[in-house]
Amino acid sequence: MKRLILSIFVLIALAATSFAAGNGRANPRTMSFPPLRFDIPKAERVVLECGLPVYLLRDPELPIVNITAMVRTGSVYEPASLSGLAALTGSVMRSGGAGGLAPEQMDDELEFMASSVESGIGADMGTVSLTSLTKNFSRTLRIFADVLLRPDFSAKRVDIARKHLIEGLRRQNDDPKEIADREINRAIYAGHPLGNVPTLASANAITRQGMLDFHRRFFRVDNMILAVSGDFDQAAMLRELNAVFGKTAAHPATVLPEIPQPAAVFAPEVIYGYKDVNQSVIRMGHLGVTKDSPDIYALRILDYILGGSFTSRLTLEIRTNQGLAYNVDSRFDIGRRFTGSFIAETETKAGTTVKAISLMKDIIAGMTKEPVTDQELNAAKEYIINSFMFGFTSPASIVTQRARLEFYGYAPGYLENYRDNISRVTKADVLAAARRHLKPEAFKLVVVGDAAKFDKPLTVFGSVRELDLKPELEQGK
Amino acid sequence: MKKLWLIALTLCLFTTPLHAAPAASEPRAGLEGKVIEHTFKNGMKLLMVERHTSPTVAAWIRFRVGSVDERSDERGLAHMLEHMLFKGTKTLGTRDYAAEKPILDRIETTEQALIAEKARREKGDKARIAELEKQAAKLQAEAEKYVIKDEFFELYAKNGGVGYNAFTSRDGTTYLINLPSNKLELWAAIESDRMQNPVLREFYSERAVVMEERRRSTDADPESKLWETFVASSFLAHPYGQPTIGWMPEIENLTRTKAERFFHAYYGPQTAIVAIVGDINPKATIALVERYFGGIPAGGEPPPVTAVEPKQAGERRIELIAEAEPTLIMGFHKPAITAPDDYVLDVISMILGNGRTSRFHKDLVVEKQLATDVGVFDAPGSRYPGLFVIDANPRAPHTSQEVEEAILAELERLKSEPVAERDLQRILNKIEYEEARRMGTNGGLARNLTEYEATTGSWRYMIEYRRKVAAVTPADIQRVARQYFTRENRMVGFITKKGADLK
Repeated sequence: MKRLILSIFVLIALAATSFAAGNGRANPRTMSFPPLRFDIPKAERVVLECGLPVYLLRDPELPIVNITAMVRTGSVYEPASLSGLAALTGSVMRSGGAGGLAPEQMDDELEFMASSVESGIGADMGTVSLTSLTKNFSRTLRIFADVLLRPDFSAKRVDIARKHLIEGLRRQNDDPKEIADREINRAIYAGHPLGNVPTLASANAITRQGMLDFHRRFFRVDNMILAVSGDFDQAAMLRELNAVFGKTAAHPATVLPEIPQPAAVFAPEVIYGYKDVNQSVIRMGHLGVTKDSPDIYALRILDYILGGSFTSRLTLEIRTNQGLAYNVDSRFDIGRRFTGSFIAETETKAGTTVKAISLMKDIIAGMTKEPVTDQELNAAKEYIINSFMFGFTSPASIVTQRARLEFYGYAPGYLENYRDNISRVTKADVLAAARRHLKPEAFKLVVVGDAAKFDKPLTVFGSVRELDLKPELEQGK
Repeated sequence: MKKLWLIALTLCLFTTPLHAAPAASEPRAGLEGKVIEHTFKNGMKLLMVERHTSPTVAAWIRFRVGSVDERSDERGLAHMLEHMLFKGTKTLGTRDYAAEKPILDRIETTEQALIAEKARREKGDKARIAELEKQAAKLQAEAEKYVIKDEFFELYAKNGGVGYNAFTSRDGTTYLINLPSNKLELWAAIESDRMQNPVLREFYSERAVVMEERRRSTDADPESKLWETFVASSFLAHPYGQPTIGWMPEIENLTRTKAERFFHAYYGPQTAIVAIVGDINPKATIALVERYFGGIPAGGEPPPVTAVEPKQAGERRIELIAEAEPTLIMGFHKPAITAPDDYVLDVISMILGNGRTSRFHKDLVVEKQLATDVGVFDAPGSRYPGLFVIDANPRAPHTSQEVEEAILAELERLKSEPVAERDLQRILNKIEYEEARRMGTNGGLARNLTEYEATTGSWRYMIEYRRKVAAVTPADIQRVARQYFTRENRMVGFITKKGADLK
């Protein structure tokens, strides 16, 4: 659900294929292709009687209906002392029964129909989804609406969900990659709700009443959007949706508290966690941009060139040329509501840890020093533009994308203009964007591994803060 | 929490978000009329489905050659070769192959000498090793001048190709790409060249990449490490026990020469199954594939694996002491995918582990609350007899032992108590739904067509599947449970946390 993969393009419409040798076989370097025009498929937007917007796209290829509800909520609205509340609420909405249907009955009924209703709450969006065979749609829709609007939060299921959260905390330091991913995020978003993580204390502070209240605050018909696709008759679908959502608008209107943006502080930090392993996990990065930055198109191109493809600078040098890693990449995660991040990552054997970090920092810094080459710029544009259509390969992806654009308040025409905006980016734009948004000297650096086996001490990058990876659950003993 | 079955499946050329691999078990009523089959004179099989939902196409090539087909002195080779087949051909990935080739040959001689010297271990001549390493590095730098890095990728990418990747399992090797549908000829041109003229340049730097892949996917992750040990301990004779990526010292001893021999012996149209799904014209597609692949001569087939795993005669228990919370894996030897009992085991797998109404979820997770999740899956392959696997994360303060006992109690219940008709009907309903859903993506369909064609002999396995499952009776389930879920046939693996009171 994370992001829109968009790009676009201009198809190079060339005439006939040029054949290199005989036998009608063409040279991959020079071959040309028949033209292919790609228009972004449209979804229809309808407003239900209660005011709820719905995007619809009918496609009867499969006898299946899909619905996703997107709700303005998220863990950013939970206090640090209750970290985990949003995620648990999202989970127990489904697992805890709804509309008077007990959890076991709901499970049995849905699975007997091979229907699925699932719910979850992330950082800035809650979702409830439905998938069902067309023949079982009406009954599944009733359950979907109950989960969305009338969850019962069975006390037993609340308790189980909390126990699972606590078990997850016990296990959160088992896998070095999981540790590093969590810690880089905490470091980048320190002091902001996006940097909070659940603790034993917060898990134990979450109550059933807290979940009921959290749900009631956000899951209201004026605070969500639906995306509907698949095999249905439009008039009948709208009738059924109006029947389950009713005629009444939410009253009073939902008002969400303002959550501030993360403070734009760029201060370097070196964070180390010990694990007895033969390979170090390395993450580095800092705050990035939101979708409202005019630089997002240049940054998409920068991403492709720096660390977002198999021929990126990072992969080419660290993997292909030097054999230092299997996985190495970097990415601006463009924030939709809140400032996003830039994170570069790799894993390398303990003995090349500092070497790999230094190389990565140099390669990243290189983006701020010299313009990219024409060849790099063109390759990135061609890829982004020519692969644009893969964002629209199923009716479900088309409607959820449309709904998401409205959900996050993208400017009208964002999709339609995307390819043009990409094709307009210049080398100077990429350099300027790199200089504005890449600050290798201010990286938060997280390394998880066995420092005794590193090629050089991490102190070459600054003073080191060591993580305590013993779970708090044991420290009390 | 991580799902072990994701670890268990396959190795990819590079990391991608794992799109949930469709469970190894479902068909499609409407599939029958939609698949068009064509076999070329050189033995290459082409399976096509025409879908015009988007102007895109998925093209998958599956070779019926996997790590199970390796000899014992070349483990890791199928996977290593998978990486190497991205390095270009005599005309792609190079500026001048004629000039490059002699240098590649000198690199090979040097690297082989290096391997031989290192094989002498403490008797090895350190000065000579240092000299050879220096020489190899120098030659490598010389060869670099001719290399066009990752040109296949570059060509596909600039034409809008996405998801270009490959994966290797015990059973086979698959190369996949999604392209705008007007670019299918690019796929034919690149892939036919790769099938005939690959050049395994940059072998030794890529070998270092694979070693990092091994550290990342296995060594540094306790659950994966337990899994590798568990599978290896389950098979004393059959090569299914060996990890596809190879053990570290084996990877270190792989050479370009070995990889080339393996390639020329088995990889060609005779072992290739191609699926092309999406916005295509099947007739024109057959002609296109014929034009590019039709002239490639057929080669050999890997001989069937002759090793037969001796019948296990007692439980085997595998412990891993690690800096990690407890995890439990249980396995039972079971037959290959096409055996009649395998359909019954699939039904049992769904009764025990599929969804919130499954017995493990209801009993262990919700009622007794001994575990946070329990999974059931097949591994490590389908072509030969494998394992029926159950994995669970115990929930503290409950122990692996308590979870083990609860799992065994559920298995006993299958033997003593007939399954309700409603449970069987729910499974059939689920299969009906999966049959429909399965048709919804080009890549998913291409995956299933190639997978089942390769492992069962025909993609029609998917069509017959529901009928076979419908024929499974409660009595079959009791019989199969009694036959396979025995102490003699059982493997148990578990992680014990380091620093606990260990004696």
